[in-house]
Amino acid sequence: MRHSIPLRWLLAGLLLLAQSAFAAESEATAKPFAENHVVLQISDPNPFKQTLVLNVANNLLRHYGPDNVDIEIVAFGPGLRLLLADNANGKRIQGLADQGVRFSACSNTIRAFTRKLGHEPKLNSHAVRVAAGVVRIIDLVRQGYILIKP
Amino acid sequence: MGWLVRLFCHEVLTTSIEGGYQMFTKKTMTTLAALIASTPLQAANWLMLQGTEPAGAAPRAKIWGFIQPEYQATSGTKLAAGPWKGQQAVFNQIGPDLDSDNTFQLRRARIGVRGTGFGLDSGINYFILVEAGNNGITQLGDAGPVKLTDASVTLNYIPHARLRIGQFKYPGAEEGLQAIHVFNYVNFTNITNQQLLERFFDEDGSRTGTADSVANEPNGPIGAFRDIGVQLFDSFRLGEWEHSYAFMIGNGNGIDRGDNDGDKEYYYYWASEWVFGGKGPRRQGWKLFAWYQDGKRTLEHALGRSQRQTFDRTRWGLGTTYLKGPWRASAEYIYADGMIFSGVDGGAVPGALNNAGTSRASFNVLPEEKADGWYLDLGYRILPQLELDLRYDVEHRATRNDANRRDLETWTLGAQWFFNRKARAIVNYEIRDFSAPKLPDGAPPNQILDGVDNRLSVQLLAIF
Repeated sequence: MRHSIPLRWLLAGLLLLAQSAFAAESEATAKPFAENHVVLQISDPNPFKQTLVLNVANNLLRHYGPDNVDIEIVAFGPGLRLLLADNANGKRIQGLADQGVRFSACSNTIRAFTRKLGHEPKLNSHAVRVAAGVVRIIDLVRQGYILIKP
Repeated sequence: MGWLVRLFCHEVLTTSIEGGYQMFTKKTMTTLAALIASTPLQAANWLMLQGTEPAGAAPRAKIWGFIQPEYQATSGTKLAAGPWKGQQAVFNQIGPDLDSDNTFQLRRARIGVRGTGFGLDSGINYFILVEAGNNGITQLGDAGPVKLTDASVTLNYIPHARLRIGQFKYPGAEEGLQAIHVFNYVNFTNITNQQLLERFFDEDGSRTGTADSVANEPNGPIGAFRDIGVQLFDSFRLGEWEHSYAFMIGNGNGIDRGDNDGDKEYYYYWASEWVFGGKGPRRQGWKLFAWYQDGKRTLEHALGRSQRQTFDRTRWGLGTTYLKGPWRASAEYIYADGMIFSGVDGGAVPGALNNAGTSRASFNVLPEEKADGWYLDLGYRILPQLELDLRYDVEHRATRNDANRRDLETWTLGAQWFFNRKARAIVNYEIRDFSAPKLPDGAPPNQILDGVDNRLSVQLLAIF
């Protein structure tokens, strides 16, 4: 049983990889006609930034049309509060998700929040966990996404 | 929250099926439960706006406040009759100092901090506010130049049963409960100013003589529509309607001090608002509300007897507010039973010696009297930056005894110029008509009240 811990990590890693692969696939197929690919970063503790990043996503959808712009909001650090289940912006997140906006939650930050809270925080049902928020942004930028940090 | 929704669905469905009734389908119940469980908006719902923070989106500590410099003036007509004939009339002097019939002053200057403290836990939030302006909070009862008006902690852990603990605005009349920086006039209506904005006294004012204490000055800061205690409250949505409730137990002894008699004040409040849209303190909607408060007050000298006596004090009211597009309206009926504030002897400035030099004018309370009153308030934005306002209010004071009865009627013409969302100017002109309706026109009280001047006020508001 000495290998049980590494095995657990291995399984977790495989799960993350599978999730990432699924996310990558879904981002490619979710909006096949999208000509604009944007990743929005939210990592700021200021609650106003939460409103701002949601406004920017909404404005992009209105300008290009929901089918022509592919948006992913990546939350990490204090910005992850946006994707907590009880966040007051839940209805707006639902509205954006209905138009195809994706929400990524940093697993590193979730672990940090868990340590501070004493339990794992509940996430918004639209939040998809990624290994690390900043890595997710780098990957998306390499795929041609434009990074915007409102 | 989920468990409550499931429990709610299960209980109602079970009852329905077992009783053989098919009143609700499962789909209907699920929709209803989802609506109840939806996050309440935090807007012109004062309970939520002042007592909670947006979950997951509140700062650790937000510093904010506002400043209200103003100018008020009357014609300064002096008393026409009575033992203080020829002296300054208290109703034509500008409070709280009552030294002049026209003055510039800093009506309010408040600064506060609010937030969640620990950003990851939306279960607790706090609210602190201090007052440094020139008003009844800082000037009455040797309060001092700076006074703590609010200091509360809210616990949001129990679904639909939030707890707010500390010193804060109690649930009650709209004029008192609303944020003062969105109040559309400079001065309160007569019934609110006299019977809800409580002054705390040691005596009822019936004692006579020349000693300074006869003036019966308030023994502490003005109540400021606040109390120290515990409030149970929450809001929930049912479709377009938002319902709110509150129940509070407090000391009933004003701010920044403990209970003085062991008798607690009980407050009950309900509001239902059809929300049209928007958010913030000027959210558009139609609200119906009702409130009730009940407690006791202790006086050391009352009804001509120098002994400790306890009196019931009850207040209740019901009203409505409406805001849609350029139109705004509000109305409220208020009833008061016991501890009726009844002004100052002869209409003189408190502490003034009568012309015979035999007694000082004192503040008066009628412990066993009643009063009622109402107001109707209309506003219309003729320009995005300019709102015209019109308010009528009346107070029937001391309705049990014809000799004490006074009617205070005021028409207020107003205009508000909004420089931006955080700054505005208010100009008010109050046409005041006070009388003793059960006494002959020529009786001294009516001669005195004929001298009540109209009042001009100009106020600037800057929020930061």
